[in-house]
Amino acid sequence: MNTTASDSMTSPATHGGVQVRSSSEIGEPRIEIRGLDFYYGAHKALKQINLKFPDKQVTGMIGPSGCGKSTLLRILNRMYDLYPGQRAEGQVLMDGQNIIDPKVDLNSLRARIGMVFQKPTPFPMSIYDNIAFGVKLHEKLSKAAMDERVEWSLTRAALWGEVKDRLNSSAMGMSGGQQQRLCIARTIAVRPEVILLDEPTSALDPISTLKVEELIDELKHDFTIAIVTHNMQQAARCADQVAFFYLGEMVEVGPAEQIFTAPKEKRTEEYVTGRFG
Amino acid sequence: MSASVMTSGSVPGPAKDVAGSVSLGRRRHRTNTIVKALCVGATALGLVFLASILYTLLLRGFLGLSLTVFTTSTLPPGSHGGLLNAIVGSLIQTTIGTAVGTPIGLMVGTYLSEYAQGSKLGDAVRFVSDVLLSAPSILIGLFVYAIAVAPFGGFTGIAGCIALAVIVIPIVVRTTEDMLRLIPVALREAAVALGAPKWKMIVLVCYPAAKQGIVTGVLLAVARVAGETAPLLFTSLGNLNWSTSLAKPMASLPVTIYQYAGSAFEDWVQLAWVGALLITFGVLAINIVARYVLRDGK
Repeated sequence: MNTTASDSMTSPATHGGVQVRSSSEIGEPRIEIRGLDFYYGAHKALKQINLKFPDKQVTGMIGPSGCGKSTLLRILNRMYDLYPGQRAEGQVLMDGQNIIDPKVDLNSLRARIGMVFQKPTPFPMSIYDNIAFGVKLHEKLSKAAMDERVEWSLTRAALWGEVKDRLNSSAMGMSGGQQQRLCIARTIAVRPEVILLDEPTSALDPISTLKVEELIDELKHDFTIAIVTHNMQQAARCADQVAFFYLGEMVEVGPAEQIFTAPKEKRTEEYVTGRFG
Repeated sequence: MSASVMTSGSVPGPAKDVAGSVSLGRRRHRTNTIVKALCVGATALGLVFLASILYTLLLRGFLGLSLTVFTTSTLPPGSHGGLLNAIVGSLIQTTIGTAVGTPIGLMVGTYLSEYAQGSKLGDAVRFVSDVLLSAPSILIGLFVYAIAVAPFGGFTGIAGCIALAVIVIPIVVRTTEDMLRLIPVALREAAVALGAPKWKMIVLVCYPAAKQGIVTGVLLAVARVAGETAPLLFTSLGNLNWSTSLAKPMASLPVTIYQYAGSAFEDWVQLAWVGALLITFGVLAINIVARYVLRDGK
C-alpha cells in the first residue's frame, strides 16, 4: 500500500509523459449520488458528495490516503452495513431507487453491484466452486448451464486458457495475479450491472497489473465500472471519468483528459502533478 | 518522505560513549550466556523426567503386552485376563463424548466469533467456557454424578459419555472461536459482496477456511478425554465384566489402570502398565494426526 502511495507521489510528469485516455463523451449516469454524507461513528468521512457514474464507462477515483474514496465505493454496495456505527445519509440513486434506504434488500443489491477487493480473496475451494459460489446464491442452474457460466466468466476474465485443465484444483494454489482475475471472474459470473474495484492491482506485479487493466478496458463494454486507485497512471489509462477526493470532499470530477491535463481546481493540479499527497 | 528521515541531522541525546558501549556489550554478552545456560538446563531437566517416564512405561508395558490383552476381558487375579472390555469401553465413551461435545462446542464457538462480538452475553459465555476449560476434571465428574447418576440410581456408561462431552465442549469452543477469528476480514467481505447471507458466509466460506484448525482442536480434545480418569470414576464407574450397554456401568482404560495399579496382585499391576502404554500410544497417534492435519493446511 505504501509503495503505491509513494509511486504516485514520486511521479512528477503526469501530464507530459503519461498516456491519457483520449476524451470520450461522458454518457448517461447508471448511478447518481446526491448530497451524500457518511459517518464513522461521530467522524464525518464524506461531505456532501455529488457524483454520477456514467453507464458502461469507467469512473476512476483518486486522492491521498484517507480522503474517502474507498469509503464511497463501499457505500455503493452497502458494505458499511456490516459494521454498526457506520451510516450514510443522502441519496444514491439507481433506477430511481435510493439504494442506501434501509429497506433495500442487500443480497439482491450486491448481486447487481459486484466488488473486487485490494488483495485477492479466493475462497478455500476449487477454482470452479469459487465461481459457482456467487452464482448459486442467486440462480438455480443445471450442471450444464453452470459449466457454461463458469467458462463464460473465466473467459471474460482472461483466465480460461490458464485454468481450463485444472478447474477442480484449489484456487489457493494460483498466483496472485491469477487469483485476482479469478475474483473478477467470480464477480462477473453473478452478472452484475456495476463492478466496484477497490485498488484491484495494488497487491499485484506490473505484468498482472497490465492484464487486469486490459481486462477493465474489455469489461466496460458490458459493465459500469468504478475503480479506486492510488496509481495516477492507472487512473489515466483506465478511466473515462476521474473524480478527485481530498479530506472527505470531492474536489473535482471530469473527463480523464481534462483532470490530468487541465484541472480546474488548484488542489487537483497539485495532486496530479505530484506536488502533494 | 522516508529519505528525509534518513538524512535528517544529529540524533537527539548525549554523544556516544565508546568505552561505555564496549563494557555494555560485554555485560550483555555475559547476561546472554547465563540466560542461555538456565534455559538449556531447564529443558534438559524436563527431558530427563519425560525420558525416564517413557522408558519405564515402555519397559514395563511391553513386558506384559500379548494378544490376550486385546482378546480377553478383565478377569480375577491369577486367571490371565486382558483389557478388552476397558479398551472397548474407552472407545465407546470417547467416541460418544466427542460426537456430542463437538457440535455443541462448534456452535458456541461460532456464536462467540460471529454473532457475539462486543456483546455482554458473549463475554459472559466466553468467560464461563474458559473457566470450564481449566476446571479440575473431578469437579465435572461430580457435577455429572449429581445430574445423571444420583437421580437415576446407578452408574452408567451414558453418564461417562456426558462427563467427557462436558470436557470436550470448552476445548472445541476455544479453538473454533480462535480459528474463525483468524479468517481475514477481506475473505468475509468478499463472500458478503457476492450477496451471501451471513450464515452462508460462515458455513460455506469460514468453516472451510478454518477447517484444519478446528479439526486439530477436536483431535486434541479427543486426546485429552481419552486419558481422563476422574470424571469417569463418578459416572461410568468401571466394570470388570464385558459390557457394551450404556445403561450399565462401563469399563475404561484410565479407570482400569487406576484400579489395577493400586492392587496387590502382580498380574493386575502388569496389566495397568500395558493399559498405560496403550493410552500413551493412542494419544501420541492422535497428536501426530493433529499435527499432520495442521501442517497440511498451512
